[in-house]
Amino acid sequence: MFWWVLSTFGVTLFLLGTPVSSWGIGSPETLDQLLEQVRQDSVQEQRLNADREANFLAARDKQKELLRKANADLQAEEQRSKVLKGTFEKNEKVLAEKQTELKDLSGSLGELFSVARQTAHDLLPTVSNSLVLAEFPDRVAVLSTIAESNKLPNIEDLQRLWLSLQEQMTESGKIETFSASVITVGGEVKKQQVSRVGTFTAISEGKYLRYLSEPVAGLVELNRQPASRFLKAAAEFEKAGSGAIVSMAIDPSRGAILSLLVQSPSLRERIDQGGWIGYFTIALGVVALLIALQRFIYLFTIGRRIDAQRHEEIPNEDNPLGRVLSVYTGNKEEDIEALNLKLDEAILKEMPQLERGLPTLAILADVAPLLGLLGTVTGMIKTFQAITMFGTSDPKLMSAGISEALVTTVIGLMVAIPILLIHSALSGKSNRLIQILDEESAAIVAWLAEKKQGLLEKREADVF
Amino acid sequence: MFSDGLFRIEWLLEQGGEILWFILIASFFMWMLIIERYYFLFVLHPIRMQQLIAMWQQRTEHRSWYAHRIREGMIAEISSHLRQFLLLIKALTATLPMLGLLGTVIGMIQVFDSMSVSGAGNTRGFAGGISVALITTMAGLVTALSGLYFSANLDHQVKRAIEQAMDLLR
Repeated sequence: MFWWVLSTFGVTLFLLGTPVSSWGIGSPETLDQLLEQVRQDSVQEQRLNADREANFLAARDKQKELLRKANADLQAEEQRSKVLKGTFEKNEKVLAEKQTELKDLSGSLGELFSVARQTAHDLLPTVSNSLVLAEFPDRVAVLSTIAESNKLPNIEDLQRLWLSLQEQMTESGKIETFSASVITVGGEVKKQQVSRVGTFTAISEGKYLRYLSEPVAGLVELNRQPASRFLKAAAEFEKAGSGAIVSMAIDPSRGAILSLLVQSPSLRERIDQGGWIGYFTIALGVVALLIALQRFIYLFTIGRRIDAQRHEEIPNEDNPLGRVLSVYTGNKEEDIEALNLKLDEAILKEMPQLERGLPTLAILADVAPLLGLLGTVTGMIKTFQAITMFGTSDPKLMSAGISEALVTTVIGLMVAIPILLIHSALSGKSNRLIQILDEESAAIVAWLAEKKQGLLEKREADVF
Repeated sequence: MFSDGLFRIEWLLEQGGEILWFILIASFFMWMLIIERYYFLFVLHPIRMQQLIAMWQQRTEHRSWYAHRIREGMIAEISSHLRQFLLLIKALTATLPMLGLLGTVIGMIQVFDSMSVSGAGNTRGFAGGISVALITTMAGLVTALSGLYFSANLDHQVKRAIEQAMDLLR
C-alpha cells in the first residue's frame, strides 16, 4: 500500500518536471541584443500610439458633426412646434366658437330629449301595469328602448313615444270587448271574451279580473270577488248592447283596490293571528254559550210550569211555585206567623236554582274584553320588540304583533257582546220568576186561604 | 230623489262593512222594544190598573195579613210587567257602543292589512278600513246615545207608575 502511494507521487513529480519555454521565439542572449530589442519595441509602440491618436481624432470630428446636425434638427422642430401651437390655439378658438354656436342652435332641443326620456320612464310603469296591455302586449318594448338607451333619441323614437302616449290616453277612454286568455281561479288558462272599461276595470263572464305583469303577464280572475251589487252590475254590463246606458263599478286606483281584495286573509287565518289568547277567549265564549243554553232551557221549562201552576189550585211538585204552595197546603192549620216563616224558608230554598250560572255568565262577559285587552298589550309588546330589532322602516315586520293586538280585541268583543245580551235576557227571565216566587206565592197563599174561609168567592183568572 | 237617498244608505252600509248591519239590527230591535214599552206604559197599563183597582175595591177589608199579601202580589205582578225588557233595552244601549268599537278595530285591521301588503305609502288602501272604523264608531255611538235617553226615561216612568199603583191600591 505504502509503495503504491509513493510510486504515484513519483510519477506526478516526473510529469511536473518537464521543461517549458516561456518567452518569444528568440530570447535575447546578450545585453546588446536586449537593448536592440527594447529599442525596436519602443519604435513599434510609438507607431501604434500614433495610429490610435489618429483614430480618436477622426471619431471626435464625427461626433462634432453629429452634434451640429442634432442641434439643427432641434431648432427645426422647435420652429415647427411654434407653428403647430399657433394652429392649435387658432383651432381651439374656432372650436369654442363652434360650440357656443351649437349650444345656441340646440338650446331648446337638449331639454326636449331629457323630457322625452323622462316621459318614457314615467309612462313605462303606467303602461306595463295597465289593463290595455292585455289587448296590445307589445307596447312596452318601444318605451323601454327610449327610456333606457344612452343615445339621443331620433325623430322616429320621439314619434313612437308620442304615439304611445296618445294610444294610452285614447284607450283609457274606451270601453272595449276583446278576446283574451284569462287565468281562472282554478289555474286554468281560458280564451274568454273580456270587457274592459278604460284602464280601470276588466270583467269576464260576470267576474272581475286584474292584470298581472309578473311573473306571466296576463289577466287573472279575482279569487275573492267584490260585493254582490258590483257583480250584478258587471253581469248587466256584459249583457248590455252598444249604446245602452248601464251603471258599472270602476276601480279608480287602476286595479290596486281589487288586488288588495285578494290579499285579505280568510277567517281561519284571522283567528290564527290572535294567538293563544284568541283561542282561549273563544273557548271561554263556547263555555259561556253552553251555560247560557242550559240556563235558557231550564228557565224556559220552569217558567212554563210556573205559569201553568198559577192557574191551578192544586200544587204540583214539579215546579218551584208548586213546591212553595205545597208548604201551605201541607200546613193549612198553622197560624199566620208560622206559615209566613215556612213560606220564606221554602222560597229561599228555591232561589239558588233559578239564579245559578248567571253570575258566571256576567263574569265571562266581563273577562272576554279584558282578555282582548291582554292580547292587545302582548301584541304591542311584540310590535315594539320588532321595532327594537329592525327599526320602523318596514311596516310588514310589525304587522304580526299589530294583527295579534287587533284580532284579540275583536275576538274579545265578539265573545262579550252576545254573552252580555244573553245574560241580560236570562237574568230578566230569572228575576221575573224569583219575583213570582217571592211575592206572588204569598199572594196566592193568601187568596187560597181567603177562598177557603169563603171571604172571596171569585177570582178573575184573566187578570192574574 | 227618494232612490238617491236609498242609494246613499246602501253606500253607507257598504262603507261600514258587516258590523254596521249588526248595529242596524241591534238598534232596530232596541227601538222596537222602546216603542213597545211606551205603548204598554200609556195604553195597556192604565186599562190593567183600572181592572185591578176594581178588583181591590171589591174586597171588604184591606187590613188583614191576607189583604197585604194579595196587594203585594198585585204590585209585584204590575212591576214585573212594567219592568219587562227594560234590562234588555239597557243591555242593548250598552252593547251598541261596543259594537261600534268592534267596527273600529275591524277597520283598523283592514288598515294594517293593506299596510302589510303594500307598505305605508299606499294611502288609498287605508281609506276603506278607516271609513269602516269611523262609520261604525259613529253609528254605534249615535244609536246608543239615542237609546240612552229613552231607556232612562222609561226607567223613571216605570218607577212612577209602580208608586202610583201602590198609592191607588190602598
